[in-house]
Amino acid sequence: MENTLRQKAKELLASGEVKVVIGWGWNRTRTRTTPVFITKSEETDRLVWNPLCVNNLSVYLTRKFKDVQALGKPAIVARGCDIKNIVVLISEGQVKRENVYIIGMVCNGVVYRQELWEGELKPEIMPTKCHNCDVRNPHLTDSVIGGKSSFVPPEAPAGMVFDKIKAIDARDASGKWSFWINEFSRCVKCYACRQVCSLCYCERCITEKNMPQWIETSAHPRGNLSWNLTRAMHLVGRCTFCGECERACPVNIPLNLVNQKMILVVKDAFDYRSGYDEKVHPPMIVFNPEDKENFIK
Amino acid sequence: MADKLLKREDLGKLIGSVVGGGGVFVAPTIDARQVVFKPVTKAEEIVTDYIVARNSYKEYVFPQTEVVADYTIGKDGVDLRSRKVEPKETVIFGARPCEASSLSALRAVFTWDFIDEFYTKREDKTTVISVGCTKADEACFCTTVALSPETKTGSDIYLLETESGDYLAEAVTDKGRAFIKKHASVFGAAGGEKAKKLFIPEKIKGIDPGKVAEKLSDKGHYEDPVWAELTRKCIGCGACTFVCPTCHCFDITDEGTAFEGERRKNWDACQFDTFTLHASGHNPRDLQYKRWRNRFNCKFSFYPNKFSSKGCVGCGRCIRVCPVRLDITEVMEELSK
Repeated sequence: MENTLRQKAKELLASGEVKVVIGWGWNRTRTRTTPVFITKSEETDRLVWNPLCVNNLSVYLTRKFKDVQALGKPAIVARGCDIKNIVVLISEGQVKRENVYIIGMVCNGVVYRQELWEGELKPEIMPTKCHNCDVRNPHLTDSVIGGKSSFVPPEAPAGMVFDKIKAIDARDASGKWSFWINEFSRCVKCYACRQVCSLCYCERCITEKNMPQWIETSAHPRGNLSWNLTRAMHLVGRCTFCGECERACPVNIPLNLVNQKMILVVKDAFDYRSGYDEKVHPPMIVFNPEDKENFIK
Repeated sequence: MADKLLKREDLGKLIGSVVGGGGVFVAPTIDARQVVFKPVTKAEEIVTDYIVARNSYKEYVFPQTEVVADYTIGKDGVDLRSRKVEPKETVIFGARPCEASSLSALRAVFTWDFIDEFYTKREDKTTVISVGCTKADEACFCTTVALSPETKTGSDIYLLETESGDYLAEAVTDKGRAFIKKHASVFGAAGGEKAKKLFIPEKIKGIDPGKVAEKLSDKGHYEDPVWAELTRKCIGCGACTFVCPTCHCFDITDEGTAFEGERRKNWDACQFDTFTLHASGHNPRDLQYKRWRNRFNCKFSFYPNKFSSKGCVGCGRCIRVCPVRLDITEVMEELSK
């Protein structure tokens, strides 16, 4: 697969169809992967494909990365889960479908965090999203690398994240409150969750609006709670559970629990799952006269 | 010379006497599945098998958020009342020799043109007890920046683990000597105990800090396309700066209701796009690679030149936490060419 990927990238760059290929490459010691931007057809051998390819590279398609956009039309190497984010970006008018070439990778799962890698992809080091993945055969692509995956996700989603959500749901309000206050207390306001997220593409985040200061920037319990809850609310019906925010969090806040819980709520309330169809808009940004709720009319 | 012995079984007693005296004992402990510096009250909470804590202990001398003043806005103007800082005695146990070099870098900044008492008073009350490393991971690069697990500078007391799990202790500074004297009952005389072998990481081949400094001193490097090529992937979060033991930038913010509130000093990060945003809307560091280039210069040019202090101690924290694995040593290597 790696060779086919490199060959594809080489063709795309040589023909001038794209100006940059955004993919994964090795670090110096070849122990971790890191995002790479290949602009020359003779450098496509730097691209790699393996279970350490964890970054959701779709963040580089957003307007946060003006210098990446300045390179010209990109091709992006993407797994199905990454493509979900590209789908949301297209449906929200952030990316034009014709302006990005999607090289879809058939994927058998990746590690939850790269430091867990010991040479073999075992189920226990894979994130919950991989165990329930229904896009191992990427769903919106210009070309696909890899043979067809025959993986069938479990009918009822399962895994650590769902187990923990169940456990938290079983708590009473004060139990839930104390769980989250404790988790958010560690927040250092580094905003890695926001920066790594391709759906947090606002150029001026609400936390940076200081006339008035809507969200206190201090890393105290009040400021941390308002930041984390506000970000969660801004992702309702949009988040695809790619897991980047939790992976990036230096203090291990279980953001996947927040995100998956919202996904369950949106599925229940609107029968909507984000990231599958670029022609459908997320429920929180559309108005529908047929809405079943009376208060909206 | 390591002439004292601190027995593992006496650690609890040491913690008890520091905490009992109204002090804070900070040590590596497990929190949310990782090793971090945090106040402990029992010896059992301390982790001894670790490389470096995820966070730097700087947050105990330079808190992430602190109130520096209170204000009231009245008809006759603003009444601004400074807070007094009265820090507790703080012991940092289990620091690594690399990061022990960081406090002098912080002090240089906080006493440069204005004595920032919020920092100096805390540091004055802080005793740093470091433990020489017996292992490392691939992010460690202390020897590449001319430090090593044998470096004692910056520590008040330098410890070596013994084969039996106790510590050979050496007082490095007057503060360290006073601490050992004050806690004489737990620091006994050493008598031929054998220290575990220290693990000295190899210098990274291809990095020449002299060449890096030379390149940075020539302003021409600013327009070198290599900056954008190597650091384009930076997503602009503050993780690297917040875990860095020498990063020291802060922001002043007022929090409160319309007429009264607190003035706070909060950590800030040069990697945020608002860091240098002017009120006019102009931003001199408008792209991420320029912000990254600035941080690198801060570490290897601006501060070493201005204060002769270490801008980077090679602890590797920034490499470990980076969500896109932007490795500062790869940039050092490129600039050594």
